[in-house]
Amino acid sequence: MKIAVSAKEVGLNGKIDDRFGRAEYYVIFDTETKEVKTVENSAKNESAGAGGKAVKVLGDENVNIILAPEVGPKAITALKAFEIEAYLYAGMGLNTVEDAINAFNEGKLIKANNATVEEHSGLRKA
Amino acid sequence: MKIAVLSGKGGTGKTTVSNNLAINIKNTILIDTDVEEPNSHIFLKPDIEKIDSVFIGYPEVDMNKCNLCGKCGEFCRFNAIIPAKNSVVVFNESCHDCGGCAMVCPTNAITYKQREIGKIYSGKTKYDIDMKYGEINIGEMSGVRIIEEVKEKIKNEEIVIIDSPPGTACSTVAAVEGVDYAILVSEPTPFGVSDMKMVVEMLREMNIPFGLVINKAKLGDDEIYEYANNENIEILAEIPFNKEIAKLYANGELFSIHLKEYKEIFENIYSQILSKL
Repeated sequence: MKIAVSAKEVGLNGKIDDRFGRAEYYVIFDTETKEVKTVENSAKNESAGAGGKAVKVLGDENVNIILAPEVGPKAITALKAFEIEAYLYAGMGLNTVEDAINAFNEGKLIKANNATVEEHSGLRKA
Repeated sequence: MKIAVLSGKGGTGKTTVSNNLAINIKNTILIDTDVEEPNSHIFLKPDIEKIDSVFIGYPEVDMNKCNLCGKCGEFCRFNAIIPAKNSVVVFNESCHDCGGCAMVCPTNAITYKQREIGKIYSGKTKYDIDMKYGEINIGEMSGVRIIEEVKEKIKNEEIVIIDSPPGTACSTVAAVEGVDYAILVSEPTPFGVSDMKMVVEMLREMNIPFGLVINKAKLGDDEIYEYANNENIEILAEIPFNKEIAKLYANGELFSIHLKEYKEIFENIYSQILSKL
């Protein structure tokens, strides 16, 4: 199983990001091989629809679960289509990617079934 | 003949200038293309005779034909179509209806459906001129299609005053495209002048002749006069910063009807424009 974490910095010790669609990186942890891979978020500078495109970045990496601060309505729609589950860490005082993965393993993160935030504007609403 | 009235920032007096101008020229039609918040009808008070819906297309993917190659998603700049695992996600409201995804689709899996994004209202005003205005539905992203359709409904022989959206975004470009002359309305304040400069650049880029109307004159400083002078921009008129005008505006009244001494300002603007074309 592959878990991706929305991150500001690379690697397990990197800081988690407080955004999902426009996060700098996604740190992907493979629970079977214990391999850690950091991918750049090519959607972060999109003028519109970053959330949906970010999900595609993760889908292409065969991610099964994402850990994110919050997710918007487009991201949720796309996550469902890519069969990716989202768990949220906003307001939990977590610091690093590793903290987020540990919190997830301990069952502390709540699964997002619906959008937890309104649509953001990005550079323009789309 | 088409005359666009535009401004850098909102609230400088586009509606004041375009509406007062329209009612002082014979055989005019005014169109309000500020579809996000049209307000000319508040002053012109038309009896609406006709309402037309404006439609835009969005892609629908036939999953029997789609092989999830991903080309549509790569093409779309607005991320309105995203191929996923076993399906293709379409965000209807992000789609600009450019037709590109169907063009790049190798299996002809994409067709377009229509949905309403706004309406166009047409009617006769109480000042015996016709008007039309577009209004975009809440939540829709781009009013460009509505603006284009309002303009298409205009006949060639008409004198058209176009109340434009503020700023220099796509919708303003759509409103101004193809006009014969533009009237730039600005107020003599630092913000007014700063935002106006972008519009000047846009109009020059589009090769549209234009002149300046300074509204709320004597309100701010002299920067606007210096700028106009340095840039060789003609000042067509100045409308004073005046309590009576503000009061009439606040009541939804056109001041040149009630304050006859200002009627001349608008007749003069029009004759100056005519002399240039």
